[in-house]
Amino acid sequence: MKKLILIPGLILVLFSTTAFSAQPDAKAIIAQAWDYMRGRTSVSEVRMTVHRADWERTSVIKAWTRGLEDSIFQIISPKKDKGNGTLKIGRDMWTYNPKINRVVKIPPSMMSQSWMGSDFSNNDLSKADTILNDYTHEIVGTTRSDGFTVYEIRSLPKPEAPVVWGMQTLKIREDGILLEQAFYDEDMKAVKIMDTSGIVEMDGRPFPEKWTMRSMDADSKEDYTLLEYRNLKFDVPLADHLFTLNALKKTQR
Amino acid sequence: MEILMAWRNVWRNPRRTILTILAIAFACLVLIFMLSVQVGTYEVMINASVKTRTGHIQVIKKGYNKDHKIRQVVSDPESIAKILDQTPHVTAHTFRANAFALLSSDLRTCAGLITGVDPERESKISNIVHTMRKGRFLKPSDTNTAVLGALLAKNLKVNVGDEVVALGSAMDGSVAATVLKVAGIFSSGMDDYDRSAIQIPLPHFQEVFYMENAVHEVVVTCDSLWHVSRVKESLAAALHPKPPAEPTGQDADQGLVCLSWDELTPGLIQSIQMDLGGGLIFYAILLVMVAFSIMNTFVMAVFERTRELGTLLAIGAGPGRLSKMLVLESAFLTLWGITLGILAGCVLTFWFQHTGIPLGGAEGMLKQYGIPGLIRPRLTLATALSGPALVFIITTLTALYPALKVRRLTPVDAMRAV
Repeated sequence: MKKLILIPGLILVLFSTTAFSAQPDAKAIIAQAWDYMRGRTSVSEVRMTVHRADWERTSVIKAWTRGLEDSIFQIISPKKDKGNGTLKIGRDMWTYNPKINRVVKIPPSMMSQSWMGSDFSNNDLSKADTILNDYTHEIVGTTRSDGFTVYEIRSLPKPEAPVVWGMQTLKIREDGILLEQAFYDEDMKAVKIMDTSGIVEMDGRPFPEKWTMRSMDADSKEDYTLLEYRNLKFDVPLADHLFTLNALKKTQR
Repeated sequence: MEILMAWRNVWRNPRRTILTILAIAFACLVLIFMLSVQVGTYEVMINASVKTRTGHIQVIKKGYNKDHKIRQVVSDPESIAKILDQTPHVTAHTFRANAFALLSSDLRTCAGLITGVDPERESKISNIVHTMRKGRFLKPSDTNTAVLGALLAKNLKVNVGDEVVALGSAMDGSVAATVLKVAGIFSSGMDDYDRSAIQIPLPHFQEVFYMENAVHEVVVTCDSLWHVSRVKESLAAALHPKPPAEPTGQDADQGLVCLSWDELTPGLIQSIQMDLGGGLIFYAILLVMVAFSIMNTFVMAVFERTRELGTLLAIGAGPGRLSKMLVLESAFLTLWGITLGILAGCVLTFWFQHTGIPLGGAEGMLKQYGIPGLIRPRLTLATALSGPALVFIITTLTALYPALKVRRLTPVDAMRAV
């Protein structure tokens, strides 16, 4: 257990020393940040607020992740939606509805659709690791915030990569915390911007409590989806059968 | 004096005069008939689209026709229905609600557009009922029953009696899910519609998508296309009473708008404009041909009478009087031709308006898609008069050429001419 935390800590030390001497590798910074946010495994409880100009809805979701590839989400409140779940293995996604007791695989054509009515798309969940494999990265600047160096990284898709964005920009603090991720279309216009705030100690490491996704093409500037981490545990041993279609149909604890 | 001379000159060569009059009349007739047929065809096209999709008029929440967001609802459709019951020229109206959803059969999953319809009232408006290929249309007693487009059924690999799972977002943002039994498969002939559309009874839709009594569209049909704008105006006036009287709470104005079919399907009006553009080129060619043949007649009439005109000049007729005489001659011909043409054109068009023009081999195919196999030309004041008006302008212009040319004649030369 200690060892696991040690590894990112070691990388941290490595980077904080090299940051001053030489330009660090952009891809390594992103990889480190993604590892930092997800750990080997994680269990979390998230409050999701979908906000619209005339309307707002809050639900509570429990999420389990394993590496960058596998995850399972279940809605625990409101009551109406309790038991609805999403399972993601690699790049495949399934959704389960307890009312009709059916599992439906989400087809590729629906991957860019909104996930549970939020500003996040199915792709945002299922292709979270695509930025590591399908993009080339470049550090375009550094700033300082709260005594940390913040790297501003511009990521452009590789020529043949199957991605929907024309560009992504990221702001990553040197300790691995993602501060902002912006998604641009082919015309380099910002489509969605996600930022994080409220960095607090969670399970022994600083972690941003609030994640806000805003769609730039929405009619109203007020439209956003807010994720608030209420409970987060890293590197919990998870059974293999948790990431199966059978597990999706049962309420996990 | 000139009028009498012109009249006599016109009838000096009756055969040529009659032929010229007939040419003009024929041009008018063709123009009237073709334009009326075109307008009649557009009416058929519009009606087909109106009957499968939009209706003549829809009352919707402002912006719904662009965004199609599930929250943009008409929350009290019954009050609008009451207004519609009292509006003249309205033949039928119904409510619809739509949502995009994930549709899944045992084998396949794809995205589709679920529409909640009122089975009884829908059948008075939509011709989906008449394009059922398999099974039957929805009945008022149905609950979780669906009819879907043939291409969608093919994509999902389902048949009548199979189950389709629908998963979407309800109006309150919760997860909407239902299992539907396929009762029928339709084929409207519009591929993009048949590829995505699935219809279920409105009450079941409202239950699954937590819509309560709200709907997305109040669909209205009128007795004729030509009354649409009038109905729309009176409906809009009823929806937004001008003096905002006593604030009666939530009824009446809820940010609702009234849109007619051309605003709902801009693509249709564009394709009509394109077709009309092509038609105009044809008419232009026809007009140019008519113009040349009439010009030929007039020019010949002046040439062969050069000596006579010279004599007239010699005995004291001014060139102005000669021009006047020639213009009057052409005016006689033109007016006779146009009058005859309008009469014949109207009679012919009117006849076909009653019997209809059968479309031959295409008839059966069109009938499948709920389009009548007959095209009825539509005679209106515009189609009856715009063609002849153009013919009049063109012939008058061409007749001016010889009439002006005659001013340059000198009596001596003219009398010597052969």
